[in-house]
Amino acid sequence: MANIRSVYSIRPQLTLTVITLLFCCHLGFYGCGPDPTPQATVESKSQNTKAKIAREDTVIFDYDGGPIPDPHNLNPLVPSPTGPGMRQCVWEPLFSLNYETGEIAPWMGESFTPNEGLDVWTLKIRAGVKWSDGEDFDAEDVIFTLNTLLNDTTQSLSDAASMQQWVKQVERVDSLTVRFDLKAPNPRFKLDYFSVRVGSSMVILPQHIWVEKDPFTFKFYDPKKGWPIGTGAYQLITATENEFTFRRRKDWWGAEVEFRDLPVPEQLVWMVTGVEENRALLAAENQLDSIMDITLGAFESIRSRNPNVIAWKDKMPYVWLDPCPRQLSVNHTVPPWDNPQMRKALSSIIDRQQVVKIAYEDTSFPSKTIFVEYPAMQPYINVVEDLWINPNSDVPTGRSLIESNGWRLNNSGFYEKAGKELSLSIQTHEAYIEKRRIAEVVVEQLRAAGINASTRAIAGATWDENKAFGNFEAVMDWDACGSVNEPWLSMNRYTQQFLRLVGQRSPGNNNYVRWSGAGAEEYSQIVAEIGVLPLGDPGIEPLVAEAMKIFMTEQVVIPITQARKLIPFVTTYWEGWPTAKDNNYHHPPTWWMSTHQIIQRLRKAER
Amino acid sequence: MTKPTRTSRTRDEDKLDTTTSPESAQLYDPDNQDLSQGRTSSLNRWDTPWFNWKLISGTAIVGIIVLIGIFGRFLWDTELVYVGKCPLNLPPVGFENSRGQTGTWSHPFGTENSGRDMLALTIIGAPNSLLVGFVAATIGIGIGILLGFISGFIGGLTDDLIRLLAGITITVPSLLVLIIIQSLVEQIGLFTMATLLAVFAWPGPTLVIRGQVMSMRESGYVQMARLSGASPLRIMFGEIMPNLLPYLAASFIGSVSGSILAAVGLETLGLGPQRVPTLGGTLYFALEAAALLRNMWWWLGIPIFILSLIFMGLLLINLGLDEIANPRLRKATE
Repeated sequence: MANIRSVYSIRPQLTLTVITLLFCCHLGFYGCGPDPTPQATVESKSQNTKAKIAREDTVIFDYDGGPIPDPHNLNPLVPSPTGPGMRQCVWEPLFSLNYETGEIAPWMGESFTPNEGLDVWTLKIRAGVKWSDGEDFDAEDVIFTLNTLLNDTTQSLSDAASMQQWVKQVERVDSLTVRFDLKAPNPRFKLDYFSVRVGSSMVILPQHIWVEKDPFTFKFYDPKKGWPIGTGAYQLITATENEFTFRRRKDWWGAEVEFRDLPVPEQLVWMVTGVEENRALLAAENQLDSIMDITLGAFESIRSRNPNVIAWKDKMPYVWLDPCPRQLSVNHTVPPWDNPQMRKALSSIIDRQQVVKIAYEDTSFPSKTIFVEYPAMQPYINVVEDLWINPNSDVPTGRSLIESNGWRLNNSGFYEKAGKELSLSIQTHEAYIEKRRIAEVVVEQLRAAGINASTRAIAGATWDENKAFGNFEAVMDWDACGSVNEPWLSMNRYTQQFLRLVGQRSPGNNNYVRWSGAGAEEYSQIVAEIGVLPLGDPGIEPLVAEAMKIFMTEQVVIPITQARKLIPFVTTYWEGWPTAKDNNYHHPPTWWMSTHQIIQRLRKAER
Repeated sequence: MTKPTRTSRTRDEDKLDTTTSPESAQLYDPDNQDLSQGRTSSLNRWDTPWFNWKLISGTAIVGIIVLIGIFGRFLWDTELVYVGKCPLNLPPVGFENSRGQTGTWSHPFGTENSGRDMLALTIIGAPNSLLVGFVAATIGIGIGILLGFISGFIGGLTDDLIRLLAGITITVPSLLVLIIIQSLVEQIGLFTMATLLAVFAWPGPTLVIRGQVMSMRESGYVQMARLSGASPLRIMFGEIMPNLLPYLAASFIGSVSGSILAAVGLETLGLGPQRVPTLGGTLYFALEAAALLRNMWWWLGIPIFILSLIFMGLLLINLGLDEIANPRLRKATE
């Protein structure tokens, strides 16, 4: 049986591609796929890492975010991406929102309840939770983590801005109970920050290791000391730019206290797979078990080669609706886009139906608002029906807005004012083909309407930094992401408390478009009012309508499409992957912190 | 970026043997000996080395691609080269894609997954790739001629400096540097790219031309020109250079090939012009979108075929010019 290294072996079916790639390499095409040569690896002292784990005992996950810039920096607080897999199998959440059941399932937390005024929350930790080095996970760890975030005056650590927005102080009640005193009532406190609402939630730090460490520079990686540690059922074994490998721990607390069984997979691998061709070939060859996202055409091709490939839905369009709609964000400090009319012009010109047709091959649909179109969000989307975005382009309106600001078409077919051509440079994350394809279509539409638009794919880390520090004219992003069953979280991201000057980091990537002014102030006040209302309060809808009227009038961001993700799973070695029909025990993304739930359900395929 | 071509290697070897320099070849050319032995009667206007089948066929191949670029845009809607202008994923006429769609004459070469027309990509992309090569080679050879002549003819400290500079530049890993530069430049156009390629295209020609000039500067006709009071400039470009023309042309074509090769390499990495259609850029999009896996062979196949034609054409031109410049080669093939 092939071991994990065999994922790099060349099979006869790959011959044609290999020939092509060799041709490309002959043309000077270096580095045309992920580097199959593992980097120098450091092995964990605490595990028997020499023993090879068979392929059928290993689950291999795809990672499409490109090579990890610093694989040995596993500090979960710093804004750069940490290693893939850490949140999925090493660091566990306190609670986990299940999109399918709508419930918040307890994990390391047992309960998290508010007082009547919603401004005091009490967390009870499950008894018996232990760190992988044997230390107890307790209230001290939670308090230490919260105080670290509350003491971050720069607000650059993950969750620092949001904790400082809400938390006045945290107190130890007993070894398993923590009391949170909030600055204002917050009915969503547990859901927003501790329940893997979207992607991840706060990582609790082991105080006994982090105490007296600098949270900004500590890398939390030292294999000789067994770092990083976590509470999850797996331990990191190797971390390279292209691959993270984890081995199952026999002493996982969850099995010992009979909270859950020990997961079946003995080894988990997250592999940087590069371009879609690589991912598709690996899946077709059963050398991947889970793919993050893939285009429809590639999925159909994999299925024609490997009948064991499934997706969330078993029929067209196969996809799952991701909670993060895609949008064009323009820097409000860069003229002429500091003018709301010019931003509205961009929005009017964009033909979202065409974006869906080309970038998604008709597997998604245009956005009406900044919100994800989940059933629970419909009331808040419907309440702003008069503000819904036209899915088709309205070029005459867009042009008249531009011309009303003194721009005139020149001989090149582009608008010009005072000798300067109207241009727009859109930055995209180089690893995300979906956003790049959206940007390519938008560029053509804007150019046809007279805006000399261009798009540029840049390295992920640079893209993140450019956004955070305001070094961009426009970006294709998903940063209104947050709300899944109520509107406040997404709306809160564009409030004035997060406004920073260009050159200063936007806290938590909130309001990095740097929206300011009277409208922004008024909007922020309304959002603050929404924030203290209980979930489902009838007073929320009119406030949402009022705030979104300001938001859309000023066209703070330009919503484009809903993001439907085609997430294939390969069932050759592992079964139990979530599917919409018959097995929707959980939503399907395997890059979220809730992946612990999916790993628990995996069983060896019976073939 | 210029890799050693067959021509340059041949001439490098030849320069060690003064009897094979263009000038000395004139003195000792067996063809000329034949002429002196009474074969004049067999000469006619077709009996010229320029009627070389390799040169003609190579020129024809490259010429057809250029003509397609010039006239194609009058016969085909080249706006179809941009995203979203056509239906997606259509196969060429006579073929069927994996979804059972058949090719149409509206898009005879098919389309790709962003709705770009492959015929329009060929019409615009192939000449663009050639253009990058020609511009880069023109700059590279231009600098090579200038520095090579100065270095070879003047000698001394100037020669040392130019040789040192060329030697240093040759040792720089050009592709790596180009990748870094390209990734730093926000928007890159064809001419910017050609200029960047030219930065690394001059040292090879410089050193080889220098060698040729050094072998010629002591020859009889150059000495004669010196005695006649001709200026160094006149001797370099009026006396020596005409004798090197076939050789320079061959070097130029080799440099074009090398520059296209480098450009396609960068484009295939996604570091080429963002929106300007090129063959390498088409390969990049095809590889990124798993074209082979999706059975969209035309997406990769057409640009690879056109690139093959370009390289074949340039190689034939190069071989033809080599034979013209080197009568011994010509004799061997007769």
